[in-house]
Amino acid sequence: MTSFTGKILRVDLGTRSAEALSVPPEVYEAVLAGKGLEAWYLYTHIPAGADPLGPENILAFAAGALCGTGAFLTGRWTVACKSPLTGGWGDANCGGLFAPAIKQCGYDAIFLSGIAEEPVYLFCDGKTVEVRDASAYWGLDATEAEAALHRDLDGVCRKRPCIACIGQAGEKRSLISGICNEGGRIAARSGVGAVMGSKKLKAVVLAGSLPMRCHDPEAVKALSRELGRKLLKMTLPTGLGVFIGAGGRMMGHLPYLPMDGSLTAYMFREWGTQANTSLAITSGDGPIRNWGGTPKDVRRMDAVYNPEHINKIETAKYHCYSCPLGCGGKLNIRGRKYVGFDETHKPEYETIEAFGPLLMNGSLDSIYQLNELLNRAGMDTISAGNTVAWAIECFEHGILTTEQTDGLALTWGNTEAILTLVKKMIAREGFGDALADGVKRASERFGGREYAMHIGGQEPGMHDARNDPQLGVHFVAEPAPGKHTVGMGIEYGAMSLCDICSWAPPATLHPKARDLEDTETMALVTKANACYTMLVDGAGGCYYGQMMGVHMWKLVDYINAAEGWHYDGDHYMEIGERIQTLRQLFNVKQGVDPASFKLPKRMLGEPPLPSGPLKGVTLSQHRGQVSSHWRAFGWDDRTGVPLPETVKKLGIDRLTEVSV
Amino acid sequence: MTKKHPVFAYLLCVSCGICAQACPVSVLAMRREGKSGKYRNVFPELVKEGCLGCGQCANACPMEVIHMEEDGDAR
Repeated sequence: MTSFTGKILRVDLGTRSAEALSVPPEVYEAVLAGKGLEAWYLYTHIPAGADPLGPENILAFAAGALCGTGAFLTGRWTVACKSPLTGGWGDANCGGLFAPAIKQCGYDAIFLSGIAEEPVYLFCDGKTVEVRDASAYWGLDATEAEAALHRDLDGVCRKRPCIACIGQAGEKRSLISGICNEGGRIAARSGVGAVMGSKKLKAVVLAGSLPMRCHDPEAVKALSRELGRKLLKMTLPTGLGVFIGAGGRMMGHLPYLPMDGSLTAYMFREWGTQANTSLAITSGDGPIRNWGGTPKDVRRMDAVYNPEHINKIETAKYHCYSCPLGCGGKLNIRGRKYVGFDETHKPEYETIEAFGPLLMNGSLDSIYQLNELLNRAGMDTISAGNTVAWAIECFEHGILTTEQTDGLALTWGNTEAILTLVKKMIAREGFGDALADGVKRASERFGGREYAMHIGGQEPGMHDARNDPQLGVHFVAEPAPGKHTVGMGIEYGAMSLCDICSWAPPATLHPKARDLEDTETMALVTKANACYTMLVDGAGGCYYGQMMGVHMWKLVDYINAAEGWHYDGDHYMEIGERIQTLRQLFNVKQGVDPASFKLPKRMLGEPPLPSGPLKGVTLSQHRGQVSSHWRAFGWDDRTGVPLPETVKKLGIDRLTEVSV
Repeated sequence: MTKKHPVFAYLLCVSCGICAQACPVSVLAMRREGKSGKYRNVFPELVKEGCLGCGQCANACPMEVIHMEEDGDAR
């Protein structure tokens, strides 16, 4: 017995029909589940040239291989489709309780195609599958819709349903919209919400209670128990957060330091991802003033965004399924300035950075409001922040005037104007309508392309490639470009991948300037990062488990115990390599030129920043690094297209012939 | 046959929620407020009638902090 259910659910929303299909074991052995299963299915089933917002596009929801086995930090669900933002591979992932709910309905993944005539939701409880009328929920924000569905279904279903749904942004097919669950958590990237909206699919409601199994549950649980006992002892003294800004200032001038993965556990357990904000502002990691500013421009902002301020109003920690860390939290925000809600999820670092230093906005209270507004609407905070930053810079340079902005004076740090603009984007009203499809489309319409920060149409995550050149490689070499979650130098230094993978170089102390060079070692590091992240995604793992390192979160041991396999790390890294290559092949099939993904000039350090930790940094060898990364993967180093011998070596030619 | 219900050793619970999701009738939920060390946290508790006594929560718990205890009345 393995952890896989061996079944997928295929739904055609146009005909309101559904069928369960068996997946041969060799598919799971090749790509696990989660993103791997999606890559295999979408590559083989979405026709070349399919309209991302048309009936041929397939929206996939998948749980990872380890979900439900007792393995910790494996509660992530991945949604994938052809992205309307980039025209190529799109995916996003989220936590909460939705991943196990997929498996408790008896499936590893759900694939939805077609377009419904009227708004619908998919209901599944492990016995029945129905496409139901959703007209009563259409128009509600994601949190309201989820609450209404619970109100209508909780007494009817034996098991409390888990719900993934879209808010107004997805309904209005905003290309920067995502899919939400658990009251406003969001799988935000790649425009997946627009695809769901285009199918007139308001929600996926799962209420199954089938048992989740694996090969050796006691061995899996023993691994979790070992990790859980360590974590229970890991506590920091209260108040240390005030020193994080100073720590970042120091880090900005230190050489590259490999770190112990346990630091991740300490930080996320104590503060969540928001711990990174003041560190990012001072260290050069976080973008300032639309990626053109320096820490000098936001002198006191690291104190504003000190994580202790947010911890003070946290009412409870929030854990995703199977997570002992609990990086999430609920905040009491009643009575605060700009705020119209009583409660919000603790804002993630990405949200604070995208609406704080990126826009020169020093109001933490406004971040709470923006966080709740965007989470409820189901709009990606990273993309929305980058788009607003472009609008402000265009306004400051006279490219946009109040005539175009509906009278809004879009100046740096104008909190009221930022709030008004975001509300307009959500409602697709006036000038906001032009911004609701992201920065690439907006700049194509109004100009100011030099201020539009995107890679292949996707706005980048809030980490600066000039500070972390490895991240710069992933931003452009990743089949879903612009993502900060595939790999970073700092992450590599914490994972100790060389201890499970024979070809992964050890992380060593070295001058940061060395990371600017195009070397074979650098190419192997970025390859290892990408392969391991794909493996984690196939397993349904959390990136914060990944960042704790292979000695704390023992992924290889977990998979062997769960599946009854006896493979080493090299074998599993090859699974990651296979998933990544399949995703790249998806792009090639869809006519996306991998070489067209490029860092904006500003992010390359052209011109270089005049001050701060990134003063004078230019990524002059970046294109060479990308070519070397492709070569390390066995892809053409000029075009990024996987070579025939690589496809054969990874068995992808045989895998794509397997049908269901 | 004697019916059982879960009891929890909260001190060693890591709030992972695996037990609550394993409950086939959703009578177990992460609702009990408490502290894990210095952190305010939520823990599992029976939130409504209808526990089947099936023990799936205890079986699923990696930390082995759930024990199935017999109800007072045998039936």
